[in-house]
Amino acid sequence: MADPIVVVRDVYKEFYREKITIPVLMGINLEMAAGDFLSLMGPSGSGKSTLLNLVAGLDQPTSGNVTVVGSHLGEMSEGELAQWRSQHVGFVFQLYNLIPVLTAYENVELPLTLAPLTRRERDEHVRAALEVVGLGDRMDHYPRQLSGGQEQRVSIARAIATDPTLFVADEPTGDLDAKSAGEILDLLERLNRDFGKTIIMVTHDPNAAARAKRLVHLDKGVLAGTVETPQASSQAGGRR
Amino acid sequence: MTSLKYIWRNVIRHKLRSSLTVLSIGFSLALLTVLLGYMAMQDVWGEEAQKHNRIVVMSKEGFAGLLPITVVDKVREMPAVKAAVPYSWFGGEYKEEKMSFAQFSTDAKHVMNVWDEYKMDPAQLSEWQKDRQGCVVDRRLAEKRGWQIGEKIPIKGTYFPFDLDLRLCGFFEAPQYTDSLWFHREYLDEGLKAGNPKGRAVGKTGMVFVKVTNDAAIPGLIDAIDDSFESSDNPTRTQTEAAFAQMFVDMLGGMRLFIIMIGAVVVFALTLVAANAMAMSTRERTTEVAVLKAIGFPRGRVLRMILGEACLIALFGGLLGVTMGCGLLEGLHALNSQYFPFRLSEFAGLWLGWLAVISAFVGLASGIVPAVLAARRSVIDGLRRVI
Repeated sequence: MADPIVVVRDVYKEFYREKITIPVLMGINLEMAAGDFLSLMGPSGSGKSTLLNLVAGLDQPTSGNVTVVGSHLGEMSEGELAQWRSQHVGFVFQLYNLIPVLTAYENVELPLTLAPLTRRERDEHVRAALEVVGLGDRMDHYPRQLSGGQEQRVSIARAIATDPTLFVADEPTGDLDAKSAGEILDLLERLNRDFGKTIIMVTHDPNAAARAKRLVHLDKGVLAGTVETPQASSQAGGRR
Repeated sequence: MTSLKYIWRNVIRHKLRSSLTVLSIGFSLALLTVLLGYMAMQDVWGEEAQKHNRIVVMSKEGFAGLLPITVVDKVREMPAVKAAVPYSWFGGEYKEEKMSFAQFSTDAKHVMNVWDEYKMDPAQLSEWQKDRQGCVVDRRLAEKRGWQIGEKIPIKGTYFPFDLDLRLCGFFEAPQYTDSLWFHREYLDEGLKAGNPKGRAVGKTGMVFVKVTNDAAIPGLIDAIDDSFESSDNPTRTQTEAAFAQMFVDMLGGMRLFIIMIGAVVVFALTLVAANAMAMSTRERTTEVAVLKAIGFPRGRVLRMILGEACLIALFGGLLGVTMGCGLLEGLHALNSQYFPFRLSEFAGLWLGWLAVISAFVGLASGIVPAVLAARRSVIDGLRRVI
């Protein structure tokens, strides 16, 4: 593997609920190279969302190290992590999580207000992101005026607007019909293939998982196996 | 898109809830505006009274007591007295009105020397002095009632057993609206004598208003007057006009403290109402706030956005309340100038600034707990419903 941009080393994560310690991740080791597309699968409670949160800098491990794009996330303060996320991570959530009082344009613009950009530069980024997801004609629509698939595409536009290094997607197709799910997966695949974006995706859907290059199985907090998908071979073949 | 735009969108997100919160703050602050305004008005009355070097002599028994009219002449002879007049509240009813304007019996010859800041046409004053049944009124009162010179003004006695049949001889102009009518003390005295020559009020006056030559002489004169009548059948209680004005407030029994207490309770209650609305609003947006923090919004910015929302609602409520309260004060002045003698422009001051401070306090106090909780809540907890 080329120089990894995500390195998870001997990570343990425990939660404390009413004086009871609940181990969620136990000695996880994982690496992702730039341009990788990895699916995390496993039964409920296996720890996949927890692992995703650690890689995205939303949470910190009980022990072990998580290094993403050269930053040791365990050593950063909450404020530093927030700034780091704004620069390096794009989020796609299962329920889209758009701000209902903002238009599609304004939702996409939201993370850009944290960046040192002029209004004109922000405008260019927003329009480009919405064009990439095919919603250039829906900029002034509020989330309630969009279908589920369109909302998720706005959510993806919001994630790519800042041009982050890493995309984290949590069940991005979990709330969509098959057609819309297919469109979203096509979009993620395109971002990975054409724009070289590194994606880590949690999913329960084997068809969605198959779109990734690698499939990582988690079971009871440990890595149960890693599989290279046919997608990886076909893309590699394509590149050849 | 600016933060302010996002804050504004959140304010109007639940229009009914925001409107009700604004209205609750508005009505509470309207009440507070009237209370604070009333206190400010009392202060202005006291300050205004201090400017004119006047003192008031009344019976030691207070408003219930009466002084013999001879007291006036004795006071006139004292050093540093520029002028002195008897002054009695008549308290009659004009036509069918229960709460009509104020009427006072006085001495037409000297009254303009006591209230020398008032203006009156000398011809009208002379006309009044000559006409025993004549009267003069505040010009604004005459304008309000549409009275002209020569107007017959019947006043039915309620406190005194005598009905007045007055003729309007002129108008005086005071710096502040007085809502008052002046008539001859002799006319009242003769009427009372005719009814009962040994009546309690015959040959008496309720108060004596005294114009003093300079303010430095006031304390000595007050002592001199009270000392000279101390051993008589009619001991006096003399005070400055400002203290006299304050007496009306004191008569209401610690009114100022009462007003402040009401105000504090009102502010506390409306802060709870606003805080409840903000808490509901932010609880409904737990996931949304978590998303903002996930994409990189720092705690401080989240805190400021929620506080800004609370402050904006409080600002609207404050503006509404102060506008309504000021309108009420103007309305009360128009309706009853005896108890609300000043226009808002005459007593507007720092107290209006305090209302702005109270609005800001309500905004900050109602928003601080939900804002801090939202800012401190972990992103994971906030997203739990989703992730």
